[in-house]
Amino acid sequence: MIAYTIYLPQIKGLLKKWALELNIYVPTMVEKGFFEFRPWNDQVEIAWDYDLCYTTLKKFILPPRENIIFFDMKKYSASPVTEAPKQLLFGVHPYDIKAINQLDQLMEMDSPDVNYQARRDNTIIFGLEPVHVAETAFWSSMNASKVDLGYDLYWTRISPGAFFVQVGSARGEEMLKVEGPVEKSNFTQKEAARRAHLKILAEAEKQTLKFDWSRTPELVNKFFNNRTFWREKAKTCLSCGSCNLVCPTCYCFDIQEEADDLLQKGRRYRQWDGCMLRGFAEIAGGHNFRDNAWERYRHRYMRKGKYIFDKLGELGCIGCGRCVKACTAGIANPRKVYNEIWEAIKNEI
Amino acid sequence: MKSDFSPYVPRSATLVSKQELNELVTLFEFAQDSGKPLAHRPGQFIQVSVYGVGEAPFSVSSPPRTDHNNFELAVRRTGSVTNALHALEVGAKIGIRGPYGSYFPMQKFVGQDFLFVAGGLGYIPIRSVLHYMLRHRDEFGHITLLVGTRNPKERIFTDQLAEISKRNDLEVLETVDTPDHGWKGNVGVITTLFPKISINPETTNVATIGPPVMYRFVIQECSKLGIPQNRIFVSLERRMKCGLGKCGHCQINGLNCCLDGPVFCYTDIAGLGEAL
Repeated sequence: MIAYTIYLPQIKGLLKKWALELNIYVPTMVEKGFFEFRPWNDQVEIAWDYDLCYTTLKKFILPPRENIIFFDMKKYSASPVTEAPKQLLFGVHPYDIKAINQLDQLMEMDSPDVNYQARRDNTIIFGLEPVHVAETAFWSSMNASKVDLGYDLYWTRISPGAFFVQVGSARGEEMLKVEGPVEKSNFTQKEAARRAHLKILAEAEKQTLKFDWSRTPELVNKFFNNRTFWREKAKTCLSCGSCNLVCPTCYCFDIQEEADDLLQKGRRYRQWDGCMLRGFAEIAGGHNFRDNAWERYRHRYMRKGKYIFDKLGELGCIGCGRCVKACTAGIANPRKVYNEIWEAIKNEI
Repeated sequence: MKSDFSPYVPRSATLVSKQELNELVTLFEFAQDSGKPLAHRPGQFIQVSVYGVGEAPFSVSSPPRTDHNNFELAVRRTGSVTNALHALEVGAKIGIRGPYGSYFPMQKFVGQDFLFVAGGLGYIPIRSVLHYMLRHRDEFGHITLLVGTRNPKERIFTDQLAEISKRNDLEVLETVDTPDHGWKGNVGVITTLFPKISINPETTNVATIGPPVMYRFVIQECSKLGIPQNRIFVSLERRMKCGLGKCGHCQINGLNCCLDGPVFCYTDIAGLGEAL
C-alpha cells in the first residue's frame, strides 16, 4: 500500500491547482445538520466531519436529467450525445463509494452504458474516512464500511492537522504530487489511520442488521408471498418516490424527448424515474403490473435485498439511511424491514 | 471513453405500405434505409421512434425473410407514439433500434408439433413464429392455431386467417368472447377451444401470447393435456424503455423482460410472483 501524509495547510494549494483542470465538489454544511456536495471555491468550508450528505453522488455520474441523442426531424437522423465534464468528488464516504462501484458494474453489464461510462471515466473520487455516523445509517452491517476499490485516493484524518492518504490509482497519486514531493507515511501514521477506522466502526455498530447481511436474499425471498406483511408495511405509502430519489443505488430512468418550435430538431433525454411511482410498470392500454403501493414497496426491498445480489453478489442497499430520512410517511427503512423479516422467520423455526 | 457509438441512436427506416386491420390496428411495412435486413428472430422486438413524439417497443410481426428486407409491425392506436405511427403516410420515416430480446428457439422445434394460442393482439408476435413455420412447413409436424378475440370487430389479419384456414397442413380454430349478429363461429374465452383440439402432448410445443389475464388459464389447459412445462413458451409484455437492461421499467422480479425476455420458457418464470 502506498500512502502519503498531507497536512491541512497544504490542501488549499492542492485544491487550487486541481481546480484549474476539474470541477471540484466537496461536502459542506448547507443548513444546520444538513450536508451536501457543492462546488468548491476557496470560500467554501469543507465539512470534514460530515455524517451524511442529503442527496446522493449518483447525480454527478447519472444526472437527474441527461441528453442521450439529438435528432433531426427533417433528415430523420440522430447523433449520440455524451457530456462528461472533468470532475473531482473530494470527501466521499466508503458506503457511497460502494454504491458507485455497484453502478459501475450494473452500467457495464450486458450493454455498456456509454453516457454513464464517459462521465465515470472523467470523475475522480477521493474517499474520506467518516468520523460521524448519521442517526439513520447502518452501513457497517451492510458490508459497506470499507472499500478496496473505487477511489483514486482515500483520506483519513489522523490528527487535527494531518491526513493519511492512501493511493488508489496512479491518477490520484499524480494529483497529490502536483505541487512537488509529498511526505511518505510512516508506520505510526498508518497505525493512526487504522485506529481511526476502528473508532468509527465501533460507533457505526450501534445500529445494525441483527443478522449477517449475506442472509438477506434468502430471507427476503422467503417473504415474497407474505402479502400481509408487505401490505401492512406499505399501508401509509404515498408512492412519492422520495426513497428512490435519495437512494445511491437506484438508477432507473425514463426516456423523454422534446422538439424545437419549428419541429425540425430536438433532443431525447433520460431522467430519473422511481419504481415507487404508480405508473412505473404500466403498459399500453393501462394495465399496471404493480398497481398497488405494497407491490411497489415489495419490489424495492426485493431489488435491494435480492435481485441486485443475484447480479453482483452484494446487496443493493449500502445502509446510508437516506431513505429513512427522506420518507414522508416514515415507513422506508431497509434495516427495520429486513430485521422484522429475520425476526419473523427466526421465530417460526 | 470517447465514442461515436451510442446504443440509443436509432437507424432510419421508411414506411413502404400500411393496411388497416381493424378500427384501431394497422399493419405497417417498413424497409431499413440502410438496405439491410432487420435480421430479427421470431419473437424479438424493436424500439420505434417517431422523433418529437417518443419511442416505444413493438414485437415484429413478420417472420425473418431472406427474399426481401422489409419487416412488418402491427400497431394498435392507444398512446402518443402509436397515434403518431397511424398518422404516417407511405414514404414517411421512423427510427428503429434493435432487434432486442429473446426469441422462440426455432431449431428446438424442428420435427415437432406446435400449438399456438393467441389472444387479441398476441396474434401479432405469434404471426412471426407461425409464418416462419409455414415458410419452412416441411421442417415441422402438426400445427394447431387457436385465436381468441374479444369481439368480431377486433379480429385482425382476418383475410390471412381465412386463407391459411383453407390449408390442410394446419388446423385453425377461432373464438370470440362476445359475438355480434354475423358471427357464426365459436363463442367463449380461448380456453373453450381446447376441448375441440387433438394434439399429441409427447411431441407438442406451445407458444401462447395474449393479455396478462390469459396466461395462467392457457397454461392450466396445456398442463391438463399433459404438455410438460419446459415445452410451453410465452412472450410477456412490459414497458421496455431502454431495451438494454438498464432503465428498470420492464423488470419481472429480478429478470429484465427486454434482455431475458420477452420470450420465456415457462419453467424459467414458473416461480416468479410478478410474471403471470
